Amino acid sequence: MNNPLNQPTPPVTGRRYWRSLDELADTAEFKDWLQREFPAGASELEDGVTRRHFMRIMSASFLLAGVGIMGAGCRRPEAKLEPFGKQPENYTFGEAQYFATAMPTRDGAVPLVAKSYEGRPVKVEGNAEFPGSNGSTDRYAQASILDVYDPDRSKRFKHNGDTVTPEAGLAFLSQLSKAAAANGGQGLAFLTDRSTSPSRRRLQLVISTKFPNAKWFAYEPIDSDIHQRAATQAIRSLIETRTASPVRPVYHFDKAKVIVSLGSDFLGSEDDVHNHIRRYVQGRKPETGAMSRLYVIESLFTLTGAGADHRLRVSPSQMAIRARALYDLLQSPSGAIKTSNGDAVSAWIAECALDLAANKENALVVAGQSQPLEVHLLAHAINSVLGAIGNTVTLHPVPRSEAGTIQQLAESLNAGSVNTLVILGGNPVYNAPADLNWAVTQRKAKTVVRLGYYEDETFAQTDWHFPATHYLESWGDAITSDGTLVPVQPLIQPLFGGLNELEFLARIAGETQTSAHDIVRTTFGGTEAAWKKFLFNGYQPDSATAPVNPSFNGTVPVVPPPLAAANLEVIFYRDAKVDDGRFANNGWMQELPDPVTKITWDNAVLLSRKTARELGVANGDLVEITLNGRTVTGPIWTQPGMADNTLGLALGYGRTAAGRVGKGVGFNAYALFTGSYLATGATLKKTGETYVIATTQHHWSMEGRPIVREANWDEFKKHPKFAEEMHGVEAPIVKSLYPNPLDEAKKTALHQWGMSIDLTACVGCGTCVVACQSENNIPIVGKDQVSRGREMHWMRIDRYYTADPAKETLADSFQKDDEQQFAEWIDDVQAVNQPMLCQ
Amino acid sequence: MSAIFPKWTNWLPLALGAVVAVVGGVVTAGVAAYVTPRHTRVGYEPVQPVPFSHKIHAGQMGLDCRYCHNGVEKSSFANLPGASTCMNCHNQVLKDDPLLAVVRDSAATGKPIAWVQIHKMPDYVYFNHSVHVTRGISCVECHGRIDQMDEVSQAKPLSMSFCLDCHRDPAAYIRPTAQVTHLDWQWSTNAAAADAMQAANGAKMVHDWKVESLQSCSACHR
Repeated sequence: MNNPLNQPTPPVTGRRYWRSLDELADTAEFKDWLQREFPAGASELEDGVTRRHFMRIMSASFLLAGVGIMGAGCRRPEAKLEPFGKQPENYTFGEAQYFATAMPTRDGAVPLVAKSYEGRPVKVEGNAEFPGSNGSTDRYAQASILDVYDPDRSKRFKHNGDTVTPEAGLAFLSQLSKAAAANGGQGLAFLTDRSTSPSRRRLQLVISTKFPNAKWFAYEPIDSDIHQRAATQAIRSLIETRTASPVRPVYHFDKAKVIVSLGSDFLGSEDDVHNHIRRYVQGRKPETGAMSRLYVIESLFTLTGAGADHRLRVSPSQMAIRARALYDLLQSPSGAIKTSNGDAVSAWIAECALDLAANKENALVVAGQSQPLEVHLLAHAINSVLGAIGNTVTLHPVPRSEAGTIQQLAESLNAGSVNTLVILGGNPVYNAPADLNWAVTQRKAKTVVRLGYYEDETFAQTDWHFPATHYLESWGDAITSDGTLVPVQPLIQPLFGGLNELEFLARIAGETQTSAHDIVRTTFGGTEAAWKKFLFNGYQPDSATAPVNPSFNGTVPVVPPPLAAANLEVIFYRDAKVDDGRFANNGWMQELPDPVTKITWDNAVLLSRKTARELGVANGDLVEITLNGRTVTGPIWTQPGMADNTLGLALGYGRTAAGRVGKGVGFNAYALFTGSYLATGATLKKTGETYVIATTQHHWSMEGRPIVREANWDEFKKHPKFAEEMHGVEAPIVKSLYPNPLDEAKKTALHQWGMSIDLTACVGCGTCVVACQSENNIPIVGKDQVSRGREMHWMRIDRYYTADPAKETLADSFQKDDEQQFAEWIDDVQAVNQPMLCQ
Repeated sequence: MSAIFPKWTNWLPLALGAVVAVVGGVVTAGVAAYVTPRHTRVGYEPVQPVPFSHKIHAGQMGLDCRYCHNGVEKSSFANLPGASTCMNCHNQVLKDDPLLAVVRDSAATGKPIAWVQIHKMPDYVYFNHSVHVTRGISCVECHGRIDQMDEVSQAKPLSMSFCLDCHRDPAAYIRPTAQVTHLDWQWSTNAAAADAMQAANGAKMVHDWKVESLQSCSACHR
């Protein structure tokens, strides 16, 4: 019979979709992987416990169990049921309760509704009541619930490594407070992480007033503060007012018709990503007849670049020059922008400038968190020239914060002027800039006191350690990116008797009001009814700050000349899973495939195909990266779409004291990090060893089936139903030998559940994967099993690279030699994200 | 070589084998028949910390089951009442009775009373009370005539076959939702008429309410 499935497949035309370079080259390893559903060794637990061994060692236990059942174990054990003595109102055992809270982030908060069963929080959802949020969350919020129950979290008050009673710890704090009161805080220094909490700010002011000589420093390894600093400086330098209040930019991607990203991964690793994704997608609905256009200039291959309509890859040192070129073009009179002269890069910039000029106030230029200040100032300058300020980007005043930098604290410590160093959260021994030699520097304070969530790297260098509470166990408050006040409401008493950050500060301040609930209530003010409404809703309506509308007329920063790209450039980036390292002990995060590389349980040295060829390295080779005399060893991973001559190093791995899950996973890029996310002058040396990287990107390939169906705007307008038309050869319908009786029942059944995902909107962020894992309690399997194709996620995001078929020439067909020679046309790729449910 | 063993020992292995087979068979049959929930669980009547009598409260007084077990229609777990529910009446009725001292103490201090659980599903089974109670399965089907028990005993085996008997034929057990807590309710006093009405009305209710009595494994073994 003419079985259409047995016909030879017709030759491939049009766009190709591939998961990895191995797939494109159809290497022997890839074919091997494809043939077997599970690769070699997948059905055997090769860690020493075979089934036979298990039976052997358990045989005695089985015997005992059998005897137990027939003998003394015959009698049914008495199970007890213990109801309430005093039944609480509105509570039904077995039904979930929901409380509004928020997850505080570096520069804002994610408004949440947490679900709790019997007083235990089990799931985190977004707060749909919060205006404009549509109940969105990000990966970190979804995974954060697991940290509450982390057995490796800090549970004890410790002094010099020995456990002390909570009373002794609190007594020390009051002693510290009295000593500070006596000398006005001389020699007292605070190193905190960043927070928008008004209660914390109020307590900081109390401390600064009571102890005027105390100094405050703030440090975050991933510095989101640059957005605020740049916007404030842009205002102050451009409108001649030096005393204008600090402002932060809020980006309205939904209002923008053209978006240009200067190294800004606003769909992936910027803070406030849940708002950015949602607003961005609102501007791109093909059914409504309008879609915004996204131009991305970047060095790494990020989720934002993956979904860009036009992408330009530049090495990090070139970014400022391109940004300046864009600005200069926009300053020239319209009509004078020529796209024809110059090289491809200049033509790209010119096209981009034309599009920006055509859209004026509906355009938006954003600069990424890792970019230097000049690029940010240029972005603000371009926005102001276009008139976008006030429309697609609004500037909101924020309270002043006068904290110093960690570099200034290091100076004070080295000068010996710090007696007591109080560290709030953070993990400076692990993630402080490498040139400060923080582990030694921190010890120069006579007493180091720390409020920490884990007994981590910093714990080893502290004298007094206080266990911190998780935000799901704490009272607190925070301010979201648009200025709305949100509460942080606990769902459970601190599981291990931890100390709330607000109580910690209040005790140091010598306040009588030390209960965190009372502190937050005092900061809120208002009536009882307003307070209850605030807690119920999860936000304070109309507390968002109104934007300021300055007129800019100042000078634009001068861009320094580019450094000679003699050596490799390095870009340090915030990891999509462990953030700056804080989620290293979170198994869900470690096992979540990185949205772009699909690597689990590791970080890698990312570089482009061309640079890998030039350096003679392949995936898995262990190499030594040396930067400014410091060295780190890591495995190579070729990343399609990355800029040439650049190395991408994810921060947050290589932890030595993270807990049982995170210890020793990946390599520590902080060893090379000195505060700037972009660096030049790195060298790479092969060690000759290889390393296994567990990546999920080979698993479950399309194999010729029409799974990914993609069209652009023009095609969609002509064929709105292109997805249905794009089916391949379909299998003939064969009647089943065994008709399932449930299929008949389904026809009249009550509920049919379905879940549909708008694939135009999906950016591949992976929040749904973590949410599914959280909701269904899916276990993790570990790196070894992931490398055998046995990851347990119920859903996955398949990421397909695709390159412009128009650029492919016959002569560019790749050769399957050992070094995997490829053609240049695949260096500029896009990626399509395809969520696959319930695998 | 002379015979060491007498001749009759030749039959010994066969005899032993036969005896073992017979005894083993009897024991196996006995265990299979009697070490089953129908025999091991039915009749379980542990001693409770407070001599609470359902016969007086639910039977004689006519209290509805849901007055105390108030979560049974909303939650998967049918809760026991807190001592404060008992005190609704017993702060006046028998207010100094020594038998109720434990209840008064619990209501005053919040210390829970440690009741012994009788109807317990294994941990690998998911059972949701609210689904059954709100869809016309009476308390009596699984708990028997609680309103006639001075001390609660387990009346039904609650084994998998017991659950499947109903799940395979819900029309034979379903009743109007208003009659769910009337444990002695019947369609009619005439047995034959009652059977006929159950069959007819049961089928209608199952159809109208779209009762899907799940029989797949994952319905209960989640």
